[in-house]
Amino acid sequence: MKTSNSYTAIAYMFLAPALILMGVLTFWPVGYNTYLAFQDYSIADGSATWNNFANFKYIAHEDLFWSALKNSLLYLLIVPVIQLAALVVAKMVNNKLPGMTLFRALFYIPVITSISIAGVVWANVYKYDGVLTWLLQSLGILHDQVNWLGEPSIALYMLMIFTFWKGIGYYMVLYLAGLQAIPAEVEEAAILDGANAFQRFWKITVPMVKPTILLCTLLSTIAAIKVYLEVIVLTKGQADTYTALYYVYDQAFRNYNFGRAAAAGVVVTFFCVLLAIVQFRMFGEEKK
Amino acid sequence: MKLKKMLAVGAVVFGFASVYAQADTELEFWTMNLAPKFNDYFNKSVADFNKANPGLTAKWVDMNWDQIQPKLIASIAAGNPPALVNFNVPWVHDFAAQGNILPVDQYMGAAKNNYSVGAIKDVTVNGKVYAFPWYNSVSIIAYNKDILAKAGVKSAPKNFDEFVNDGKQITAKTGVPAYAPKLGNFVGWFYYAGLPVVENGKAVFNSPKHVAFVQKFADLYKAGVMPKDVFKVEFEQEIAAYNSGKIAMMTTAPQALKRTETDAKDIYAKTGVAKFPVDAGKMAFGAWLMDFVIPKGTKDPAAAGKLGVFLTNDAQQVAFSKATETTFPSTKKGNLDPYFQAGAKSADPVEAGRAAAAGSMDNARTLTIPPGVLPDEAAMTKKLQDEIQDAVEGRKPVKAALDEAVAAWNEKLKK
Repeated sequence: MKTSNSYTAIAYMFLAPALILMGVLTFWPVGYNTYLAFQDYSIADGSATWNNFANFKYIAHEDLFWSALKNSLLYLLIVPVIQLAALVVAKMVNNKLPGMTLFRALFYIPVITSISIAGVVWANVYKYDGVLTWLLQSLGILHDQVNWLGEPSIALYMLMIFTFWKGIGYYMVLYLAGLQAIPAEVEEAAILDGANAFQRFWKITVPMVKPTILLCTLLSTIAAIKVYLEVIVLTKGQADTYTALYYVYDQAFRNYNFGRAAAAGVVVTFFCVLLAIVQFRMFGEEKK
Repeated sequence: MKLKKMLAVGAVVFGFASVYAQADTELEFWTMNLAPKFNDYFNKSVADFNKANPGLTAKWVDMNWDQIQPKLIASIAAGNPPALVNFNVPWVHDFAAQGNILPVDQYMGAAKNNYSVGAIKDVTVNGKVYAFPWYNSVSIIAYNKDILAKAGVKSAPKNFDEFVNDGKQITAKTGVPAYAPKLGNFVGWFYYAGLPVVENGKAVFNSPKHVAFVQKFADLYKAGVMPKDVFKVEFEQEIAAYNSGKIAMMTTAPQALKRTETDAKDIYAKTGVAKFPVDAGKMAFGAWLMDFVIPKGTKDPAAAGKLGVFLTNDAQQVAFSKATETTFPSTKKGNLDPYFQAGAKSADPVEAGRAAAAGSMDNARTLTIPPGVLPDEAAMTKKLQDEIQDAVEGRKPVKAALDEAVAAWNEKLKK
């Protein structure tokens, strides 16, 4: 007879490898970062001294940080767009027509492309005399050359398109997994009842993949707030594309002010957690 | 018994000998990112130095640039710093201000006159020299002869105003952007123009002179003399644009020509080379001086100074430049060496570029604000660059942009 205690112990034994890794690589850095946020950290001798919220006071009065945070939050616009598109695409490629595997692969290629290489390609798409300008000019939509990544009014949205292209395949695959768990009978019954494709999508597909929507939305929200790589490879923060995490990076590795960088990091984390809570409320299972 | 005695005596003598051998002063010197490519040069230099200086043993240690500072701080704290450390100019100012490196005037002695004027100025803090200038580089102009001929521009610009006017003429006549100078460090451009940036703890770059200088760039941009995305242009992009004939001139380090030689032979064949013109600042553009400093607490600073003078003397600097093929000595005589000057009349752009750059070296200055002046360098630089970009690209009047940047800087400098 095993007691429930020994079951728990065994369960923890199985969990241990993952927990230890998480502890070393996630929980400890998060904890240490939070501790640093309240300290003056000297890189020379590694000493840290309590500074009475000075880092937070500093960034509270820092216009650059707020405009960076504004850009990071603006980036959330991409979340609903990419989620809806990924779900629609997943729905489209989730059938037994010939050539579907090819389409799935095509959508997934950008996901596995390294961001720096994709960045070089897209820099040439967005160059003022690049592919996009040429395309729009030959279609007669555009007369003058546009510096897509140099105009503050549009540059951030251009980055979002890049993120969209890069991420849609990833969420598509997650949704595919969700869709394949929906029994075919449900869909067939709806067809018999005379529901059109649009109705079936909203009344059957969306409710049934709700858990996947929660997961994907969370993932892409966090990714949007943490947007940094896209910025560094495409615009270097010019043209009003400076984001909160870029600020963190600059404070840490250009100013060597790790305390201030940590504080800015904590603020970003706070927004991530806040949005996660909102999303759990929206898409989470209601407690019965 | 005799044997024992002999052994004992032998041991004593041997012991003395080993102690005596120990008495050699070991001079460890650190460099950044030069191994394994330049092992031969350093091994030879170390052997030469040890031979010429009995009782001193130089020891070369190479490390990654980002390890140098933490390791040095740790070694100073532990009381066993090396004899010499390879620094860049901002670090020299930083560490001199902290008092963690020694002034080297007394160890340099008469050798001080060997170094180029700009190099000594680069490493002078509060009237004292804090480093032995070592290798450096500088910008040149490489131009497409065909495009210049088509535009009716007879020769490369000799001063900054000519540079501006030639650019306008080239674009007006040919429709090709003339150049894409790197604008990512505008502070350097102010220095280049002989304009102050921070004086007495206040930002002063919104004077009429500064406005007029930035206005030149705004006019050039508006006329299409610089490409639309000039603010995104760095070393690689500039070479790519020149190699594809999209700009008429390159304003870059001479080693870029090697890339033109391999990647764009037809453009290379019609490339001419000239010095980058100096402006009121009397400074050559695009330098980044490397040097050696003596850390505080090193065992024998005089011996360290000897090694510093040796490693940066004419012969050593020329030999090192030959090894790298892309850097230049920071000594006056070094740059007159036939290796650099042979190309002065050469039709080969790489050779000509070497001669042109060597001719600019005396005015080469590392154009940065010394560390410690700006309380929040990242944010302040960002603010300045953003405003400059808005002004140059015509989204804001120059005066308003500079005023705003100055106000933001002064608010931070006040604290």
